Amino acid sequence: MSIVLARIDSRLVHGQVLEAWVPYVNADCIVVANDVVAGTSFQRMVMQAAVPSSVKLIIGTLEETASILSSAELLKKRVLLLFASSDDALKARQLGVSFPKLNLGNMHSSAGKDRYTCTIALDQEDIEKLQLVEDQGVTIVSQCVPADREQNWHKLVRSGGR
Amino acid sequence: MKERGLSWLTLTRMYLRSFLLQASWNFEKLQNLGFFYLILPGLHSLYGDELPEEVCRRHGGYFNTHPCFAPLVAATVLRLEARSLAGEDLAVDVETYKSMVMAPFAAMGDALFWGGIRPLAALIGLLVASQGSLWAPVVFLVLFNLPHLVLRGGGLLLGHMQGLNAIETVQKCRLPDLAIRLKESTTILIGILCAYLSYKGCEHQSLSVVWGFVLLPVVLLFAWMAHKGVTSLFLVLLTTSSLLLLALLF
Amino acid sequence: MVAGDYLLAGLVAMLTGLDRVALVQAMISRPLVAAPLTGWLLGNPMIGLEIGMLLELLWLGRLPVGAAIPPDDTQVAVGATVLALSVGPLLGLHGMPMVILAVLVAIPLGKFGQVFDRLARHVNDRLAVSGENALLAGSTRGMERNHLFGLASFALASLATALVIVLVGSFILYEAAPFLIGAVREAGLSLQYSLVLVGAASLLGTINVNRSISLFCAAFTGTLLVLWLG
Repeated sequence: MSIVLARIDSRLVHGQVLEAWVPYVNADCIVVANDVVAGTSFQRMVMQAAVPSSVKLIIGTLEETASILSSAELLKKRVLLLFASSDDALKARQLGVSFPKLNLGNMHSSAGKDRYTCTIALDQEDIEKLQLVEDQGVTIVSQCVPADREQNWHKLVRSGGR
Repeated sequence: MKERGLSWLTLTRMYLRSFLLQASWNFEKLQNLGFFYLILPGLHSLYGDELPEEVCRRHGGYFNTHPCFAPLVAATVLRLEARSLAGEDLAVDVETYKSMVMAPFAAMGDALFWGGIRPLAALIGLLVASQGSLWAPVVFLVLFNLPHLVLRGGGLLLGHMQGLNAIETVQKCRLPDLAIRLKESTTILIGILCAYLSYKGCEHQSLSVVWGFVLLPVVLLFAWMAHKGVTSLFLVLLTTSSLLLLALLF
Repeated sequence: MVAGDYLLAGLVAMLTGLDRVALVQAMISRPLVAAPLTGWLLGNPMIGLEIGMLLELLWLGRLPVGAAIPPDDTQVAVGATVLALSVGPLLGLHGMPMVILAVLVAIPLGKFGQVFDRLARHVNDRLAVSGENALLAGSTRGMERNHLFGLASFALASLATALVIVLVGSFILYEAAPFLIGAVREAGLSLQYSLVLVGAASLLGTINVNRSISLFCAAFTGTLLVLWLG
């Protein structure tokens, strides 16, 4: 098993992931690791409907996906791993899911968050959690679609939010 | 209390309003006003002339999905509104429903219409146009708009009749797989069009058709450049300026 | 072209421009339709069809979604058709060389379309906020009014793009056409085909199918063999 892309994207499965990233990294399996989605059968069905059958879709809680990712089940798959938030990414890392690089895609703004790019909004808690992920040897970059330039997240945070 | 349905007149008005979904498309909230405008006739028939404030709050915010799937979402939203008005407990509440489905439907619509149907219809139109026929635009418009208009209307009825279960019906249609088949057909037609142009070019220059194969690596090179992010504008300027230069020199 | 024709062209520019995003999206905004339509209303549909063919594929792969705004190929098509039918006769040029000159001048000017389009959407940002406020104040009429006003900003952006293409394009054509026309006649058909081939290659390069290259090569080789031997 190889994780070809690990990404934080609050929209989870959507056009940017399916039309741009899947062909770019040549993934044949998408793993959505999120406790809420895993518990909502309706949302699982909607996501399944959007993914072509040539791509395997696995939706599970953080613990479930951590054990699937370490099992032999996905041995030959090229996996695109999706998290909804920095919190989920950190928890997955602590559960033993290893990925060398973490991509920040869409992190929607809400009250109390500062916007750093068109698509990324962070608060202090996000920054601390991402720092903890980075401390475990993960490179963190921001890149919305493959056509955009990849940028280290420190550059982003240093440049300041608004 | 019994759940209130929508009249045919209301559904027709919503169908027509769906064509104005993106009239005020904006960077801030995308289709927020458009979606409210779309469901307004339905909301009026459920709540009467004066809408409760929480209904306005619920549907006035950020929204974005593919225009062809918006009627389906709208009709389902109104079913959910009608059920909660009738006092039913909903498994998925209206706001959660909207936030859950907009991204997957957007992905499906982008793949099917912008990635699949539109290029395929345009390629067929171009092959007709290459015969010098003014039917080309008509053929293109008919091929694109048949599925377009049917999906808008069909989605509206499906959402109206099946509510939350409409998604199961959509899933059975395997639309993302259909989109891939359409894209494959498009690549084949691109090949046919390019070969036909090479043939005509050789014929015009009274060259042997074998020379037509020279164009194959050229097109592949340009396709690779486009894949790497080189813009069409740059490629056009590059080819035309070099062709004009060649014409001036020889 | 008489004054009435320019008025007609302006109306077509707005109508096809609205079709891009704001209204219906029936694809009358595609060059293959917009250019023959413009040509037909101005009395020469064939020249429009030729222009539409050259432009159709160039930006076909660019998705009209989200915050990404592609160059305005609709107004490039409308503008190039107007240029070919208005400037052509004045310079004594007609037929394919004039079509190619008009298209080549109009294509880079399509960049202005992106600027005006972006502007229109920022104007709509304000409409979105005031529409939502109207809604919360209990005025659905006010919300509808704000929503429909968005059509005006999109229509004006299209008209502005078409105007820039026709005005700046005419100026460039008057200055440059006498120098270029010889080379354009010389290069002839190859220029025409190269535009279509560049478009085809761009679409091929950006379409998301695993087997696109092998399918394309097979179709190309098969077709050419059939035409050669057949």
